[in-house]
Amino acid sequence: MSEGRDRLLMQFEGEAGTISNLDQWKALRDRWVARESGILSRELRRLPELPKAERPVFGQAMNALKRLVEERLDQLHEKARAARSDAGSGTVDVTRPGHPYARGSAHPIISLQQEIEDIFVSMGFRVFDLPEIEQDYYNFEALNMPRNHPARDAQDTFYLDESTLLRTHCSAVQVHAMEAMKPPIRAVSTGKVYRRDPFDATHSPMFYQVDVLVVDRGITMGDLKGTLEVFLRRLFHAGIRMRLRPGYFPFVEPGAEVDISCIFCSGSGCRICKQSGWIEILGAGMVHPKVLRMSGVDDAAYSGFAWGMGIDRVAILRYGVDDIRHFFENDLRFLAQF
Amino acid sequence: MKISLEWISEFVELPPDPLTLKDGLTMLGLVVESVSEVHGNPVLELEITSNRPDCMNYLGVAREIAALTGVVVRPPEGAKRMRLRKDRIPCSIEIRDPDLCPRYVGLVMDAVTVGPSPDWMQRRLEASGIRPVNVVVDITNYVLLEIGHPLHAFDFARLAGGKIVVARALHGQSMRTLDGVERSLDEEMLLINDGQGPVAIAGVMGGLDSEISLSSTTILLEAAYFQPGSVRRTSKKLGLSTEASCRFERGTDWNAPAVAIARAAKLLQELASARIAGSLQDCRPGRLEPVRIHLARARAEGLLGVRLEDAFIESTLQKLEFKPVRRGKGRWEVTCPTYRVDMELEADLIEELARFHGYQNIPTSTAARTADGQPSPAKRYELSCRQILRGLGYSEAVNLSFADHREREQFPAGCATYIAIRNPLTEETGCLRSWLVPGLLRSARHNLNHGLDAVRIFELGRVYRRGTDGGTRESRALGVLGTGETATRNWHRSGGSYDLFHLKGVIESLLASMRSEPFAFAPGADVPWLDPALAATVLVGGKRAGVLGGLHPNIEESLKLKQRIFVAEIDFEGIWESLFGPIRFAAIPRFPTVERDLSLVLPRAATWGSIRAGIESLQISELAGTELMDVYQGENIPPDKTSMMMRFIFLDREKTLTVDRVQGFVDNIQHFLRSTFGAELRKQS
Repeated sequence: MSEGRDRLLMQFEGEAGTISNLDQWKALRDRWVARESGILSRELRRLPELPKAERPVFGQAMNALKRLVEERLDQLHEKARAARSDAGSGTVDVTRPGHPYARGSAHPIISLQQEIEDIFVSMGFRVFDLPEIEQDYYNFEALNMPRNHPARDAQDTFYLDESTLLRTHCSAVQVHAMEAMKPPIRAVSTGKVYRRDPFDATHSPMFYQVDVLVVDRGITMGDLKGTLEVFLRRLFHAGIRMRLRPGYFPFVEPGAEVDISCIFCSGSGCRICKQSGWIEILGAGMVHPKVLRMSGVDDAAYSGFAWGMGIDRVAILRYGVDDIRHFFENDLRFLAQF
Repeated sequence: MKISLEWISEFVELPPDPLTLKDGLTMLGLVVESVSEVHGNPVLELEITSNRPDCMNYLGVAREIAALTGVVVRPPEGAKRMRLRKDRIPCSIEIRDPDLCPRYVGLVMDAVTVGPSPDWMQRRLEASGIRPVNVVVDITNYVLLEIGHPLHAFDFARLAGGKIVVARALHGQSMRTLDGVERSLDEEMLLINDGQGPVAIAGVMGGLDSEISLSSTTILLEAAYFQPGSVRRTSKKLGLSTEASCRFERGTDWNAPAVAIARAAKLLQELASARIAGSLQDCRPGRLEPVRIHLARARAEGLLGVRLEDAFIESTLQKLEFKPVRRGKGRWEVTCPTYRVDMELEADLIEELARFHGYQNIPTSTAARTADGQPSPAKRYELSCRQILRGLGYSEAVNLSFADHREREQFPAGCATYIAIRNPLTEETGCLRSWLVPGLLRSARHNLNHGLDAVRIFELGRVYRRGTDGGTRESRALGVLGTGETATRNWHRSGGSYDLFHLKGVIESLLASMRSEPFAFAPGADVPWLDPALAATVLVGGKRAGVLGGLHPNIEESLKLKQRIFVAEIDFEGIWESLFGPIRFAAIPRFPTVERDLSLVLPRAATWGSIRAGIESLQISELAGTELMDVYQGENIPPDKTSMMMRFIFLDREKTLTVDRVQGFVDNIQHFLRSTFGAELRKQS
């Protein structure tokens, strides 16, 4: 009986000698120890055919053989695995380029616009979708800029007719939000705005803005500063410093210009911030009492703040884009960078 | 506004290091844009906001510096004794339109020697960007820079009747202004007339005829308060903006005219040997009152979020020359200086308190959040669309919203019309776009002209149309454009040219990924800018949702495009309701599917759409899919025929399909295709 066992063992060892990879090892394993069709299982199934006296010896011999084979298989497995990692680079040149899936790019301003809206939604603001074709009333009049107001000069406007225009800012969100809801109000609106500026490196007749309005009982300028700080730190980075100084916008009083510490030199002074350490980033203020009143909010009971910021300007600062026209020419060599 | 430190030190004591003012003034709202040196003297370039015309002069800036550093202002000296016992030269002033001119002050001076002004004055004027003319004109400009009130000097000999009449222009009137231009006037404009006719456009520019010349000896100095809106309208209408008009239109101090005249008279006495020849004429037909505002400390504290002491409030207001009078606990009635034309409401006073408290000293807080955030309704659709298209290899484009004239002809807006801009920048940007495709074509051309061959772009933006009712409508559209090689050629992938089915596949992927209602593509499109042989209409839920196809060859030719361009334009807002239907889980089949392929030869007229629809009409419930695997026309196929290889996928959710049942379905389909389309099995060759 041991003769038969030795023969099988020799056969196994002979086959085991040729193993050089994992696939071959798996084939060897299946051939020998598979539950149904393995050589050892088949041998063991011969047991009932043997004379009764020989059965115990045969059984023991076969079980011993099985343990031996399994032990050897374990050793061979280690070897086969090691062999595979050795042989890897020799078989396929993995340094060749991968399959060239097409990759589309985001538009930097659109991404920023979404990022900004997301920040405000997370801060409990409602995003308003507003028309770009706007009535003079919403764009100017209700924002304390009656006809012949000097501040209208700074926003040379495209008119469609006497009272219809392309919005020059998103500030109309103040009026629309106060008409649409009662305080407490936390509203934001982003989108395209238009001014009659020629298309050159630093001007565009169309650009993007975000405007914000908060109205409630007891809103203070401290709340304006706090909310701005949270927003600007999330938009730029947590270490940014912010500075408010008096500024003039007809729809706020007190009004403020908001600077951030220069994101290029961290405030030590460079070419971008003209050595001042600060970069002007947006205009803000406490909602003008007349603006509240015109939109039906009692300015004795409620107060609020508002601010407006150019999204293109943030994109220019953040990405170091040197010509605003890049944003609207759609050169794929530009877009591919975003 | 340029402020020379050497000059301003005449009016206010400067700190030992005057450049420390740079930050101080900036934080007060007078931004110091730059510091330069003129003749060795530091000059600050100040940005003055349009609400603070009182700071468009040296005295005004000196007041801010004084309030900042806690010193006293020294206003420039004026002439004394401007009332004579007997006028040597009488002059009469009449205001006919006091609504536009509530105050007019005049002073006649004689014995004037008109020559050049002294060097120091010329240097100061030049450093401020004003060209020296002669001593009289220079003094009026000098006083304008000093105290901010515009003055005008007339050659009194040229004033007919020695009198001044302030009145609105008459219809059809005209006059020649100092710059030599003949100006036609209208009834909204205010004029300064003499006994015969106009001698100046009030607040804007004087007339050429009464100009001061070297031979002038007697002059009339004018200082007046003109209504800001009137000067602004006139200046805009005439397209004429002057140092005077830009101050009057922002608002001047109605108390300043007499002060300005006194100052100019003194300088004329000193520098042009002039004498006062008649009493100061001060014409004030109405009452002018300073602005009074009630201020409550609690309001200021509530708006700023800081505690304010009564003493701080009073001292701040006083150093700014406001007069607070207590009206109870923590309440004041505040009389504003007349030069502070920006003062109207309590909030304006609160800003003054904030400026001197320091914006930087207001502690930050965060207003309590009052509701959940709410994204825009468009957000979900736009965000998914952008992500899907980017994943498919398309880059997002943003074009200007304008359209040009030629575009209107090539891309008519259907039953609507283009919206024209009344005051466009250029002919090419004369109206608002009705379609996204023209902008995408511009972008594609830009890229092709810069050597790129493959362009895949999309734009998600608004289009604007005027409806038949005349109203404007803006709605979101989606434009997609593809042209050139289908992929970067690479060892792992072979190239090929972009065609209609690449674009169609994108639209299909997009709609499927956004869980659209069933969609279909019908042959032909209702727009003239697509190639009729390569055009389709996209139907979503049975409704027209857009078009796609190859660009019309005429347009390709007119744009000098050398390769075929494929474009789609979808009414994005119109399909929102058909997107993102509810998800209902369907059990994963427990039995395997069985596939069978058929190669058939069919007449060319048989479209895949009609074949599929026909097969579906057989209602074989076990048929889980029908695919078009291959299409062939050419060798071994008659010219009027097409060979199609179709794959049918069968599935029975209840039990394993037998070979016989599957064969039965295939026979059924084959029989149908033969009887309906004349389809024959393709012979293997």
